[in-house]
This record gives sequence, C-alpha cells and structure tokens, in this order.
Amino acid sequence: MEIRDVAPLAGVTQQVNDSLTDVEVVARVLGGDGEAFGILIRRYEPGLLRFAARMLGNADAAADAVAESLVRAYRHLGQCRDPGHLRSWLYRITGNRCRSHLARKHMSDLPLSEVPAPALADEADSWTMLERSEQVALVARALAALPPEKREAFVLKHVEGLSYEEMAQVTGARIPTLKMRVHRAREALVAALGALV
Amino acid sequence: MTDRLDDAIELLKTPPAVSVEARVMAEIRQMAVPVTARPVRVTRILPWLGLALAAGVAAIFLISTRNAQGPLGESEGMAQFVGQFPGARSVEVVGSFNNWSRGLLHLRDDDHDGIWHAAAVLPAGQHEYMFVIDGERWVTDPLAGRFVDDGFGSGRENSVLIVRPAVQP
Amino acid sequence: MTRVLRLVLTLLLPMPLGAQTPGTTKLAGRVPAEAIPAIDSLIAAAVAESLPTEPLVQKALEGSAKGIPPDRLVNGVRRGLLQLREARVLVDRALPGQPQPEGHVAAVAAALARGLPPSIAERMLMMAPGEPPAPALHAAADLVAHRFNADSAADLLVEAHAQGLRGDRLLDVATAADQELQRGGGRTPTDALAHVRAMLPNVPAPKVAVTPRGKTGS
Repeated sequence: MEIRDVAPLAGVTQQVNDSLTDVEVVARVLGGDGEAFGILIRRYEPGLLRFAARMLGNADAAADAVAESLVRAYRHLGQCRDPGHLRSWLYRITGNRCRSHLARKHMSDLPLSEVPAPALADEADSWTMLERSEQVALVARALAALPPEKREAFVLKHVEGLSYEEMAQVTGARIPTLKMRVHRAREALVAALGALV
Repeated sequence: MTDRLDDAIELLKTPPAVSVEARVMAEIRQMAVPVTARPVRVTRILPWLGLALAAGVAAIFLISTRNAQGPLGESEGMAQFVGQFPGARSVEVVGSFNNWSRGLLHLRDDDHDGIWHAAAVLPAGQHEYMFVIDGERWVTDPLAGRFVDDGFGSGRENSVLIVRPAVQP
Repeated sequence: MTRVLRLVLTLLLPMPLGAQTPGTTKLAGRVPAEAIPAIDSLIAAAVAESLPTEPLVQKALEGSAKGIPPDRLVNGVRRGLLQLREARVLVDRALPGQPQPEGHVAAVAAALARGLPPSIAERMLMMAPGEPPAPALHAAADLVAHRFNADSAADLLVEAHAQGLRGDRLLDVATAADQELQRGGGRTPTDALAHVRAMLPNVPAPKVAVTPRGKTGS
C-alpha cells in the first residue's frame, strides 16, 4: 500500500490554528506536538521582536534575544502553569534577556541608525517634512536615551499595549511605580523629540 | 508636542521585518529528549566490597569498567553503594538520579551479614542522595566523603556523589 | 484625557486567554498541593531570570519525598533560588561579557552549597573559562571540606591545571591531598599540599575494580 503525505489545505490549517487559545496550544505542545509551538512563535514574535528592538536599539541583538527567549520558553513550557497569562510570561523572559544584555553593554553607546539628525529651517514644519525613516531614527534615538526601566515601561504600555497588571507580572515592579515610569518616560520623550528637530 | 509623541508611538509600532520562527523551530527539533528519571540499571554485586568496607576504605567510588552489563554511554558511569546496617529489613537509595522516588534502587544483603550493596549506572555528574532504612529512616551515607546540608532547616545532610564517565574523552 | 491616551493600540494581541493549567510537570502529584503555588512562582522566577530550574525542581521533589512540611519545603526551594542568583552574580563577575551556560550557574550553586567560599569559586571559574567548571569547583570544595586552607587549595588546583590536569583529574588532586593528610605522622595540611604539588602532574588516578574474572577496569 502506497503511503503518501498529503499537504493540508493551508488556509484551513491557518484558520484552525488562529482559533486555538494559548491554553490549547500549550496543551498540544506538552502532549508531544512540538510543531505546535510554531503557532505561539507566529502569534507572539512580532511583539517580542518589536519590544526587544526598542529595548536594545539593535535589530540583530533583538532577534538573538527573542530567539533565545522562545527556545527557553519551549524548554520550560511545562513550568508555565498558567498559560492564560502566557503573553506576560513570554514578555517577562524576553525582558530579562534584554536587561541582561544591557547590563553587559552600555546602551547609550549603541548606534541606532545611520541617519543623522537633520537640521531644518522651520521648526513648525520640521517634523512633518522628515522622511518616515528619518522620523523612525529620531524616535528610536530618543527612546534609547531613556533609562532602561522607563524605556521598558513606556514600550510595554504604549507600543505593546500591555495592561498595568500584565506589566507588573513582566517586570516585577508595582503598578504605581510603573505608572510613574510611563509618565516620566512620556515627559522625557516629549522634551527629547522637541529638542532633536 | 504631544502630537509628535503620538506620531512617535505609531512609528515605534512598526512591525519588524524579520522572523525568528525558522531558527527557533530548527533548534527545538534538534533538542534531545531531556534526561529525567533515567532507568537505573542495577548490576551484579562485587563480593570484595565487603572486605573494602571492613578495611575502612570509602566504598563509594567509581568504576570505569567495560565488564558492566551492556556498554556504558559516554555520559554514564557506574556507582557502587555500600552500607553497614545490621538488623535492617530494607535499604534503598533515594536521590536526584531517580528524582527522589522511592522503590527504584534497593540494596541487597544476600548473605545477611548486615552489609548492603547495590551498583547502578548513573548519568555522569553530581548527584545527591540518602539511604532510607526500613522504609522510614533517612540516613546520610557515612562513607560518601562529600556532604551538603539539605536546605530544609532540619540539619540533615545529603551525601554527594560525583559520577565520572566510563568513557573518557 | 490627553491625546497620548487616545492612541489606538492596533497591535494588541487579539487572542482570548483561558485560565486552565496543564499540570504536566514532574511535580504534579508529588508535591503537597498547598506548596505548589509558591513553588511554581519560584520556578517561574528562575525561568524569567534565565536561571536553571532543574535544581529547584529536584529540591521540591526531595522535600516531598522526605515528608518536609510545606512551609519548610517552600523555604528550601526559595533558598535554592537565592543560591542560583548568587551563583549567577559570581559567574558574571568571573566571566564578564561571556555567554553563561546553565550548567555553570548550577555547578557554582552546588559548590557554594557545599561551603566553598565565593572567592575560591571565582578563581576556579577564571582558571578554566572555556571548560566545564564542576570538577574544579568540587575539587576545591573537597579540599575546603577537609580543612585545607582555601587559598592554598586553590593555588594547588591552579598549578595542577597549569600542568595539564583537566576535568575529573582535578578531583584526583583533591583526593591525593586528603590521602596525604590521612597518613598522619604529624603531617600538616600545608605538608600534604606541598607533597601533592611535588607529585604533579602524576597524582594517582582513582582505584579501579578487579572483577571476579581478574580483569581490571579501564
């Protein structure tokens, strides 16, 4: 009897996978279906990569940190006893990786972009006249100038959209402390963005 | 200026152009099954161990021998356990190499001289263990030579065994 | 409400989150139920801090097997986490900027638990940065446990390493020093260390078994 692999309909498979909850996917992985971990990677890597990139200011370092974090999460998935909060668990692991990386390097020395801050004549139009890539570079530089804990709080809150409860689980800090960090980070970014252009 | 901050936040949300999925899945697929409670193979007992014990020689040592039952892997070694417990009805070894599970590694005293023996193939590396006498009395192996407080505040010490690989690199 | 607070967070993850737990770990069914939340939290902290978790799992299993009351069991696991953190700081200091295999942290924690002074653990790490540290750490811990001066013991092991002794052969150095001390006859620890130093690199290897068939093991 000939046995052939029949590729599943890609669209159907993707729809089924998207409808699985984190709890269901974790159960599959722990049940022996290691390939199901790919669902979690696809689901969370955009946010984790963006978070790590904003923390480290370097796309390659961010990719390394996130890859290491996801491998570690897979290895210890059985010890995540509350997959209902898998997202904050993954951010926590990635945040720790980034903090370790930053502790070994001096963040302020990391070049963020090859694009120099442009000098423009009319401040009122200066921001809008910049190319998008120049704007991204300016913003990233301003973010990098923040102390790591404020940078992390700001990114988690306003870029990654975590609740303060989730942020507390990720960082281990108290909610009032996190709110203060976000507030101070906003103030500092407003000032920095005004000064850069 | 907060308009500029609003714009900045939208820019920061730009999704990354890279993916680590292939890299992570490749690493996951290469992972060996983790060694957890490897089956402990009890082998034959060497009668001269009783003499060694009588001579006061530390009887926990490591044997790199090719005469073991079945070939030893590069990351395995043999450990011998010996204890003098006259009057005991049962003696077992419970430790990190069997996830502190009871009933997996029993010593034997076939000639009823109070000297209990067992040998086992264990993963190379450090292990902690204790003897359990008659199913209830936890005893530090006095011949282990290495000890560590068990950290539970009772003053009990685990014996420490360092298994050396049978096959040296 | 400021304009900042009106930001549309378009990349919020949309998946509904459940609240069940899989319960497929080694601890399931073995650790007292009342201790599980605290132990889980400690293990989760280790995961998040990139610390090895197996020592903590083993400590929980050990305490359960020994019938330790839940509060002391949790304290034992917590103590293990603190030892791992201390070990990580030490490894960071000894090997700055280098990737830290989990085995390094676990080996250092185990040696510290045996009473090895942190400064000696650092010296052993720095002695052989590219090698598995466990043999050197345990050799040093053996010597300290047998009341040799810690710095002198470390000096001997550094000398042994410099003369080409690696891995488990460093354990043989410690065994040889202890055996020299056991000979008695007024031999001091300093004498014993000096005698072994003079032997280097030819310290005796461990005893081998003579099987009933008369063949020696390798």
